[in-house]
Amino acid sequence: MAEKLSWTELRRALAERAGVSEKEAYTFLSTFSTKLVEALKSDKQVKINGLGIFKLQAVAPRKSVDVTTGEEIIIEGYNKIVFAPEAGVKELVESIQPADAGSQPTEIDPIQKLGAQAEEIVDILGDLGQSPKEEEPELPVVPEVPEEPEIPAEPEEPQAPEVPEPPFFYTPEPMPEPEPEPEMIEQEPEKKKKNHFLRDVLICVVILLLLLFGAYFFFRGQIGGWIEKMMQPKPAVELVETEEPTNNQELTAENEDEATLSEENLEEGEISEEQILAEFLEASGELDKVKKVAGQELIYAGWITVEPIHEGSRLTWMAKRFYGAKVYWPYLYDTNRDRFTDPNIIETGTPIRVPRLTAAQRDTTNAQTRANLDRLRLQAEAAMTK
Amino acid sequence: MTYTERLFENNYTMLTKEFIGLIADASNLSKKEVEHLLTTTNALVREHLMAGKAIQLQGLGALEIKERKERVIVHPRTGERTIAPSKNQLVFRPMANMKDELKKI
Repeated sequence: MAEKLSWTELRRALAERAGVSEKEAYTFLSTFSTKLVEALKSDKQVKINGLGIFKLQAVAPRKSVDVTTGEEIIIEGYNKIVFAPEAGVKELVESIQPADAGSQPTEIDPIQKLGAQAEEIVDILGDLGQSPKEEEPELPVVPEVPEEPEIPAEPEEPQAPEVPEPPFFYTPEPMPEPEPEPEMIEQEPEKKKKNHFLRDVLICVVILLLLLFGAYFFFRGQIGGWIEKMMQPKPAVELVETEEPTNNQELTAENEDEATLSEENLEEGEISEEQILAEFLEASGELDKVKKVAGQELIYAGWITVEPIHEGSRLTWMAKRFYGAKVYWPYLYDTNRDRFTDPNIIETGTPIRVPRLTAAQRDTTNAQTRANLDRLRLQAEAAMTK
Repeated sequence: MTYTERLFENNYTMLTKEFIGLIADASNLSKKEVEHLLTTTNALVREHLMAGKAIQLQGLGALEIKERKERVIVHPRTGERTIAPSKNQLVFRPMANMKDELKKI
């Protein structure tokens, strides 16, 4: 699909076809897109007859592993826009296929094609298996920059083994050349076993170079890890800064009471949660003040973050993004009930505290958990002005 | 719009009629005109898709046709392997700024 129908072309074609002025076509198309975005923001799917349905879908947070450091990280949840074409449009698009089927895959028996591919793969694997062992030591070094200057040195090396009589004269030459050694090791014993000295020197050089390379990559990786560690605490600090700075004075008075409360909480929480909480408190120095909020009923395992609520968002969406399901939204109401009166109307930018749930609080099959959620939900509903 | 509302109105599908009403309210066009424009737009979009063109919608993204390659599928119960033929799919690619805007709602 290289060709594109641009915005202006569409507008012109629309004006012509519908028999309206270009200005009208323009206002129609622009309000169309703004209204569509608005509708998506207010948690609606939009069905357009003759085209399809546009909707917003939440992607739950998931665990992953950092490729460079091997640490476990959590990829945050987010929302994505999904378009599902109408059945008629779908069929129409699928019917286009013969037009761009230049390769004509239908003529070839697919099973034969696969068979041929499998043979090719077997051939390639066979080639790989036969290849000499020389390649193996080179593999870890391949992506690195320092290799490049060394590669041109290779053509010179064969000279050393080929001329046998004056070995000592040639010894200085192989010294600066690092890469070729594996080849030489295999060639030398066949041609001249007398030349032990040259061989020993070469082996030493190879080992030294490999060690140097190894050390270089090892420290490079470590430095990369350090840099990442340096970068990590920053976002946490930023998040905390967004939290209400004005309430500091009021809250400091209650610090002592809350400190005792936090200790009780820690005893109930798991060890890993304690560590996470401790790190978070050290980084922020602020969040301990909101360890327990006025009116909070349940005790949580800690805090994930404090996040200002975005325009168009709501507690249910945030619950879906942080916990993976909308069912858990009453917990967010529980920890933020001092921030708003009506949970249906929250001013944008209000910092929302997101508690870390214990395993029991996550378990919706638990009767106690369900009772808690229902109770909190009823409280929230009572607070709504309708 | 400084307020976030509608806590419980989840997964509500807005139908075309309501959407037309919204557009008509926001612009100085009548509902009938909007409906007429919408249907002609859809017809145009379909025609141009048939002609192998991608369609750009300002502020939204692009509608384009993507080929889904043939692949081997395995019947989960019998373990039978068959080949799903390649086919075309209509894909909506949202613009970057709209994508980011809706990401962290």
